[in-house]
Amino acid sequence: MIPTRFEYVAPRTAADVVAALDGESRLLAGGTWVVPEMGRAESRPRRVVDLRRAGLATISVEGSRLRLGAMCTYSDLLSSEDVTRHAPLLRTMASGVTGGSALRNQATIGGSVAAARPQSDVPATLVALRADAVVAGPAGSRRVPTAELFLGAGRTTLAVDEVITGFDLPSERMSGHGYVKLKRGGSSWPIVTAAALLRLDDDGRCETAHLVLGGVEAVPMTVDLTIMLGRPLGDQELDVAAARTVAALSAPWTDVLAPGDYRAAVAAPAARRALAMARANVGVTEGERHGRRPDCP
Amino acid sequence: MEVGLRTAGKSVGRPVRKHDGDAYLTANATYTGDIVLPGTVYAALVRAPLAHALIRSVSTAAAEGATGVIAVVTGEDMIPWCDEIPHGLDAGHLGGHHSAVFPLAVEKVVYAGEPIAAVVATSEADAHAACLMVEVDYEPLPVLLDVESALAADAPILYPAWAENVLIEGHVGNDDFAEVARTAPHVLEGELRTHRGTAAPMEPRTYLADWDAGRQHLTLYASTQNPHVLRTVLAAAMRLREDQIHVVAPKVGGSFGLKMYGSREDFIAPVLARMVGRPVSWVEERAASLLPAAREQVLSYRVAFDDDGGLLALDVEALTDHGAAAPTHGWAMAYVGALSTGLGYAIEHCHVHYRVVVTNKAPWSGTKPFGKDGATLLLERIMERVAAATGVDAGTVRRRNFVAPSAFPYRHTSGLELDSGDYAAALDQTLEILSHERLRADQARLRAQGRYLGIGLGFELMPESADIPGGFVAAYDTSTVRMSPSGRVSVLTGVTSPGTGSDTGICQLVADELGVALDTVSVVQGDTDTCPYGFGNISSRSLVTGGNAAVLAARDVADKIRAAARALLRADYDEPVLIEDGIARLTRDPSRSVSVVEAARAVYTRSYELELDVEPHLESTRTYRPSNIREVPDALGRMQTYTTYPYAVHASVVEVDVETGVVTLLRHVATHDCGTVVNPLMVDGQVTGGVVMGLGAAFSEELVFDDDGIPLTTGFKTYLLPRAVDVPRVELGHLCTPAPGTPLGAKGVGEAGFAGALAAAFNAVNDAVAPLGARLDRTPLSPIAIMRALREARR
Amino acid sequence: MDDDLTALEITVNGKRRSATVDRRELLIEALRNRFGVTGPKIGCLTGDCGACTVRLDGLITKSCLRIAVAEDGAEIETLESMSTNGLTGLQESFWDNNAFQCGYCLSGMLFAAEDLLDHNPTPDEDEIRQAISGNLCRCTGYDAIVTAIKRYAERVAESDRRQ
Repeated sequence: MIPTRFEYVAPRTAADVVAALDGESRLLAGGTWVVPEMGRAESRPRRVVDLRRAGLATISVEGSRLRLGAMCTYSDLLSSEDVTRHAPLLRTMASGVTGGSALRNQATIGGSVAAARPQSDVPATLVALRADAVVAGPAGSRRVPTAELFLGAGRTTLAVDEVITGFDLPSERMSGHGYVKLKRGGSSWPIVTAAALLRLDDDGRCETAHLVLGGVEAVPMTVDLTIMLGRPLGDQELDVAAARTVAALSAPWTDVLAPGDYRAAVAAPAARRALAMARANVGVTEGERHGRRPDCP
Repeated sequence: MEVGLRTAGKSVGRPVRKHDGDAYLTANATYTGDIVLPGTVYAALVRAPLAHALIRSVSTAAAEGATGVIAVVTGEDMIPWCDEIPHGLDAGHLGGHHSAVFPLAVEKVVYAGEPIAAVVATSEADAHAACLMVEVDYEPLPVLLDVESALAADAPILYPAWAENVLIEGHVGNDDFAEVARTAPHVLEGELRTHRGTAAPMEPRTYLADWDAGRQHLTLYASTQNPHVLRTVLAAAMRLREDQIHVVAPKVGGSFGLKMYGSREDFIAPVLARMVGRPVSWVEERAASLLPAAREQVLSYRVAFDDDGGLLALDVEALTDHGAAAPTHGWAMAYVGALSTGLGYAIEHCHVHYRVVVTNKAPWSGTKPFGKDGATLLLERIMERVAAATGVDAGTVRRRNFVAPSAFPYRHTSGLELDSGDYAAALDQTLEILSHERLRADQARLRAQGRYLGIGLGFELMPESADIPGGFVAAYDTSTVRMSPSGRVSVLTGVTSPGTGSDTGICQLVADELGVALDTVSVVQGDTDTCPYGFGNISSRSLVTGGNAAVLAARDVADKIRAAARALLRADYDEPVLIEDGIARLTRDPSRSVSVVEAARAVYTRSYELELDVEPHLESTRTYRPSNIREVPDALGRMQTYTTYPYAVHASVVEVDVETGVVTLLRHVATHDCGTVVNPLMVDGQVTGGVVMGLGAAFSEELVFDDDGIPLTTGFKTYLLPRAVDVPRVELGHLCTPAPGTPLGAKGVGEAGFAGALAAAFNAVNDAVAPLGARLDRTPLSPIAIMRALREARR
Repeated sequence: MDDDLTALEITVNGKRRSATVDRRELLIEALRNRFGVTGPKIGCLTGDCGACTVRLDGLITKSCLRIAVAEDGAEIETLESMSTNGLTGLQESFWDNNAFQCGYCLSGMLFAAEDLLDHNPTPDEDEIRQAISGNLCRCTGYDAIVTAIKRYAERVAESDRRQ
């Protein structure tokens, strides 16, 4: 039950979506956040602009880039071979989303990014994957690195008349990935997430290393792991990465489920575990990976 | 009450499935929210955004002009239509203070979320939309959000007429701790803090009220546990005769205490329906459904014990953070907690001083297992501490203190009288299921690897089927058994079943007594026009009270069938007749028989012809009144107010991730004894459900407020109910010590599982972190609390 | 007020139906209030409890998270459709194993279970727990539900083996 009145439109193109947007409109993607918010009258848009008919649920690979429509649901990610091949981190992330398959059939990655909730899985994961958001606006389309998209809890750099139409990210086919999520149980939002991607050279030295934490701060927190490049990945290196995670923290996020001091305290172990999982994953074939449970070690 | 033979037959004791399960499975089970009446309008409530404030003015003009709005009603507007709500148990009559509560707040709000006005509109959306347009001018007052602040010398007084912030206080047992402690080998002190939780049934409170102005008659469909008593209090407050009100409780989507009669919410739809003259539907929003509370207490204790861990004396100071005053039974949970403290352990000196403190939160409201959870947790924590202090194994400490089977009847210091049980046997069985010794070895091995396994025990003893002298909580209830000329059997009973399965159990009992097939018996309940006056579903009473009553009534009907059978078979008047499988046979000559249907028809149609010496109808209404309730206080002022004493011993096995505080529940074992089991399927369901609810309370469910008293846990994303992935399969053990002095021998099982699970989980986590020097003295066992305890231990 | 009303045409349990709905209505409300189905329940209106779960265009979904008008043209199946030819084996297993007490979560649990078995006919206990983790039950403690699904799946697998 939504108390306040609104107009409903479901444009068929991104351009028509943009044309329908203004300061009093609200984009509707999967609806898992926006619809209850409207039900509580915390959001009272004059117009609901539904993205469902705008053709934004495609997944494709172009060269070494993976393209994901903003309206891809978690289920879409899970059933896509392209995602499994080029961004297995996304698959691992999606398989651990709370809410069962009913929710995974409905919630979208674009919606999650646009909502910019600090504790959501998707933002930090896409930042770790160095995804660009493809943003449509009145002046056409632009690309924004997801790392630059988030301003704060629930705030992005998007203008009121802009919409994320999709994401474009490099293939991580050669990387090992790790994903760790700390929660307070099946009912809980993530408290802290850690997404890690590692690539090793033929000598077992670290070629690339990416680590992004969600839930720790108001926006996804990237940990600079340049220091690890060119080094073999021993336990000591993981300790260094954990220490760098602690050093990167400035303003821990607090909400009703967990205070900032807790998030700060568990950031390092979460980071370390994600990296250890990624290390264990490097060179694992897709088939082997499938058989494995995405548990932390 | 005569002691009958324990019922055992074709269906009693068997895992019979829910008698009306097909209705649920085919979407034909009707809940209140499924009922549609022509012309229904919808109510929504304007709720206070502040925890404590004077209502200076309420401006309804804008809302009244809004689309679809039929009426906007303030607290003042409602007064002529509804007097203050009758109390379930008025503290003012028991040495405490009375509070006047109306359906909508008048003049002042005392908790955030308190309803202050109602809107009735032609759609739910319009009603809620108009609520947003009601303008209220508040004058904020200082808020009290914990017992310490509320008891401070300079604390503002929430209810000025009381001159204090204590709703009621009292003592249970003799205050002689100091004397015993003087010579005791050991004395320990401590404090345990429990957190605020709530019942959270899946179906929120739902009502549909239909006022017929012509007949001056109210029909109320309500998701209530106690339709008859609800009718009584509605009539009183609305100044109607009880026969002007018909309350129907259709299928109820879970209750767990939340839907006990007499909350202010019970009055919203009925009063509004009368005011607007149309059927009014009101469904509580989930956020509001998470307001009524339980469990938040500060329990300070002193315990004296000997070198073997034998408890000599216990003294408890129990402070309850009740929230605002309310007409419901909530505060009585503090009293019941005091009554049950130490129950099951032979502690000669046990004293509890309880104080129920008012604060600016939504009030306590009856919640499974009604205050016995705090008492259980406290004793089980104490057992662990005594074990640690004496070096005696925690199980052995419990065994030394248990009331022995030879000691029954055993009168506890609070006055409650235990009648049966074998607590040590339950402990043994639990430890056996657990493979306790092997598990301890695993634990030691894992600790060497830096992994922290914890094993915890929890003994629960739940007094059930309560009676409150002068109150509408009774140890007795009434059932009618009616057999039609075609042999169909209806049981009309005063007890209800919000999903618990007692209705199926009653079908089984009656089928066996009458020797008929289970599917010829149906149960009618939850209807004040058709069922005998009864007290509904509370205190795990439905099968014990309504079931025993149905057994007695069925025996009456069976006697008439026997009489008719004898007449039809031309047997002597004292010839024994056995009824089984729908056939009545002469015991001495089984070849001579007649069907139950034929006998039933004969009672109705051949009374003169057969010279039947029975009243020619097949119906009996009987009340089962247990014989063990004593409410004439003894010399020490004590009463014995509970009918049965089921118990369980639980064990939880957890692993604590000491880097993150995250707990993995590995196993949970519970050995339970509810006496004679009428239906093992239903009993296991009750115990397992209670265990998981207790684990939810232990680990994740917590009502949280900001510094201004605004609730932050407004839905299931923040009030974290356990999900299937959070809990292991519950491993059950069973014992059976039938309740003596009852026809059935069955003990209540509706509140089983919760308290022992909570305690076992609490002890398990403490066991896991103990090697690191950490200790938790409060619930919930959140990762945050565990990390704090570990951090403190490192200091 | 009239400008808030709009026509909605959907297929409910195999029948093409149309009704006038308020644009503010959620799918669950339209189903219950306009199309007369009561199998799906309202428990939270935030997508957390799963009592409102229905199948929409072949996929299970929480119908409280959807605006009714947005679903124009959709095909929806509710609990009412499940037993058109008598109770299914899964339903019987729920009944046999006491997998519902108050019954409020039942519809959602059945859809979650069906969806699981469609994708994975031989789930283990963990997989079953994962599959129903979007649905809350306050009565059973879940064990009976898990057992019901597991036993049914095992029975089907057994009879498949025999054939």
